[in-house]
Amino acid sequence: MSRANAEQHPATGMTLIVMVGLSIAFLLFIAFLNVVKSGNILSEANLLYAALVFYAGAGALYLGFGVTGTESYIKFASVATWAGLIANTGAVAHRWYEAGHPPFASLYEMLLSFVWTLAALTLIAEKRYGVKVIGTVTMPVAIVGVVLMQLLRSEVRPLVPALQSTWLHVHVTLAMLAYAACALSFALAMMFLIQDKMKTETFLAATSIFTVGVYTAVLTRFERWGGFNVVAWDFDNKQEVFISRGVRLFVTIPDLGWLMLVVFAAVAAPLALYIVSLLKKKDSFLAMANRAVFISILLQSLALVFFLLRARDGRYPSLDAEGLYPTSLAASPFILSALVGGIFANLLYLLLLWRRNDLERLLPDADNLDRITYKTICIAFPLLTLMIAAGAYWANRAWGSYWNWDPKETWAAITWLVYAGYLHMRITRGWRGRRAAYFAILGFAVVMFTFFGVTYLLPGLHAYA
Amino acid sequence: MALSLRSAVRKTWQTLSSIKTGVVLIILVVIFSAAGTVILQRPMTDPDEMARAYSPAMLRFLDATGLTDVFHTRWFVALMILVSLSIIAASVERFPNAWRFFARPYKSPDDNFRRVLPTQAQIPIDEEEQGLGAAERAFKHLHLKTERIVRPSSFSLFSERNRISEMAVYIVHASLLLIFFGGIVDALYGWRGFLMLNPGKASNQIELKTGATRTLPFSIRCDGAGEETYTDGTPKKYWSKLAVVDEGRDISSKEIVVNDPLVYQGVRFYQASYGRTGKIDQLILNATPAHGINGTPQEIKLGLYDTAALDPDTKVQLVEFIPDYTVQDGHVYARSNDVVNPAVHLVVTSAKTNQTVNFWLPEIPGIAENQSSPYNFDPKDLKTGVYTGLEVSHEPGQWAVWAGVVLMAIGLTFVFYVVHMRFWVITVQDASGKLSLWIGGTANRNRDAFEVKFKHIVEQIRKELKPVTAAKKTAELVPGTTTAGR
Repeated sequence: MSRANAEQHPATGMTLIVMVGLSIAFLLFIAFLNVVKSGNILSEANLLYAALVFYAGAGALYLGFGVTGTESYIKFASVATWAGLIANTGAVAHRWYEAGHPPFASLYEMLLSFVWTLAALTLIAEKRYGVKVIGTVTMPVAIVGVVLMQLLRSEVRPLVPALQSTWLHVHVTLAMLAYAACALSFALAMMFLIQDKMKTETFLAATSIFTVGVYTAVLTRFERWGGFNVVAWDFDNKQEVFISRGVRLFVTIPDLGWLMLVVFAAVAAPLALYIVSLLKKKDSFLAMANRAVFISILLQSLALVFFLLRARDGRYPSLDAEGLYPTSLAASPFILSALVGGIFANLLYLLLLWRRNDLERLLPDADNLDRITYKTICIAFPLLTLMIAAGAYWANRAWGSYWNWDPKETWAAITWLVYAGYLHMRITRGWRGRRAAYFAILGFAVVMFTFFGVTYLLPGLHAYA
Repeated sequence: MALSLRSAVRKTWQTLSSIKTGVVLIILVVIFSAAGTVILQRPMTDPDEMARAYSPAMLRFLDATGLTDVFHTRWFVALMILVSLSIIAASVERFPNAWRFFARPYKSPDDNFRRVLPTQAQIPIDEEEQGLGAAERAFKHLHLKTERIVRPSSFSLFSERNRISEMAVYIVHASLLLIFFGGIVDALYGWRGFLMLNPGKASNQIELKTGATRTLPFSIRCDGAGEETYTDGTPKKYWSKLAVVDEGRDISSKEIVVNDPLVYQGVRFYQASYGRTGKIDQLILNATPAHGINGTPQEIKLGLYDTAALDPDTKVQLVEFIPDYTVQDGHVYARSNDVVNPAVHLVVTSAKTNQTVNFWLPEIPGIAENQSSPYNFDPKDLKTGVYTGLEVSHEPGQWAVWAGVVLMAIGLTFVFYVVHMRFWVITVQDASGKLSLWIGGTANRNRDAFEVKFKHIVEQIRKELKPVTAAKKTAELVPGTTTAGR
């Protein structure tokens, strides 16, 4: 045990420095954005910024608990979450008052509500079910949400006729609640896997596969000679530049592609080492893989910083049109959240690697987590059903048909089917434990695709959000 | 032969009703629906875009397999029918058991049952009636109704709550079938179409999505249409005043907006689009005599083919309106129907000289004869026609869908939140002849919460027993009650 501790300490110090450095850079960057945006102090943007600071504080405290194992951090983290929720409530109220309708009309407003719901549910899970460290997973999601909000267009836009309906509000409120419940069930399923004594290496493999997936997706934007494609941004209209209907104009940032390629190699290294350790059955490779995770986090942070610096502002040439075009971070919300998500996933893995004992001590036992996951899905499923029903009713009033097989509808139905499958397997087949947890994770992946993927990747009627 | 046929039917039935089949079907639906959202779909995407996105061979393949219109192909419909059959089969297979359970509740616990029931407790008592009476009072205290069950060999209590919860899953499945039924009815008998109206006009001809035309037994007249915008120019509201005309009489009228349709005889009219027709409504002109002919400027208003007299000898007629003109080879053509670059063709006739002049606004070189016209015309105002586009739909099955949705909401509430709990209380005698009260309970879901409740009930019974037994039992060592939980 003492040897294990001795090994942990140097690396622990390093993570702390990296993390603190990252958060400072990050918060300064956001503060800068805010100052540029508004001169007003008690504005929605600043309330949101306060929420971000508190959420980031809560997230850092949860992680800090992970690094140092100090349990009192959890209490402070919970207080910070409360403070963040209050600021977030202020932002929601401000928005509501200013817009004259509940904040569900654009991706920005929906994220605002989503983050609020997530924070509220986190506190409920903590107080009611005693899942103390749930914030370790949900707070990073909340932080990513608030950061994305900083980049999306946030001005109050009048509602186009199709959105002027009470049913829209019912529909979106239900969607937010359902999605937040799904997010919670995902976090709980992950914790179950920890308590179910799933091997730390397996988490390593899962994290690495996720990160490799993220960078594979990012590298689809790789352009010849090391360039990296991002969407051009029209600053006047605050939207992407379109060449024709549905076709966006891409600009190429030189050399950034090389960096992404290097980072891809770095995130692939732990996976490769893991596979080698499986084949050769030698633990020394695992230790190397864990070091490689650490290195990959550093490189990923580097990629994030360079991406922030270069894609935030600047004019770049395009392959499709003459001249230079500006771009903005707002044009690439998915790349940005992918990069941030990759870093968080790896940090969470390190937390698990170094503080597994503390986590296991603090989390409810596996049976309990399994049951709470199921209960959360029992809440999510009826909400999903009602969300689809309200959406169908609204569509019937707005477009004359309750079901159009539009991609968003279809994916909502797919989400519903996945959870229906989960419930059937659990109730009639008695699926418990691992398999149920995998199912819950799959369900959340589909939810994320429905929420984000469909909006940006697939064409359809849900163009508003 | 007959036997093998019967076994084949039996086998099919078993396969259909198994949960595995259900899950496989769900996975298939998921895969094909996902494919339908990724592959461009036929009626929505125009053919050019399809041709651009896929190679001809690929497109042929996709069309042949129906992947370009997944949700309306026969095999997808067949898949949905299979899903329905699977739900029906699974429900029918399991229903009798559940129904027996529901209709004939198990009220008097026998030895076997008492042995295996996971949640139970025993409290020592002195005599039967005292124990059961205390239990009765305890249940009443907790607002649970009890029933005395008299059997030849035993005398016991039974209490339950929310038996309907056992049927909930069938309610949900039935509601799903109801929704499917509504969808099928709409697919077979429903239709969707489009109706374009100009203010003042009436029509009963609906242009269907399929390309055919449907004649309604009544007509719809548009009494006005318009739009409102926010100050930044984004649309705020589109409206149309519609009137239903049946057998020559006005039946009803309504101002429809997006999200608020007009319904008549099951046919719904939705505000879908609004715009300019590219046809002229009215042109207001100032006519001034040219070449020093006497007379003052006068304002005239012209619709298409209208004629106005300028003086006793001279008349002007509006013969042509081109919303977006272009000139080619000495002819004027319309480029589009959008009023972006309008041109007006006037013919000025003078009776005295029997001379006609082609006057164009604006003056188109080589075609216009504006110089020789006895009058000059200045355009003052141009009013072009508007149209309102109405989506029309008839969905007779939608009531089944909404009924299904409501039923499903009720069913799901029961499935997840209403717990069927049962309690049994009976007196038992052990080998040494000592009497004790056996209490058992079970719930169909949420068992941990139920266990807390069960312990609470046991506590309550013990409290009710105490006043009587306390005095006698103080000396004795009371054996602890056992509550074995799952």
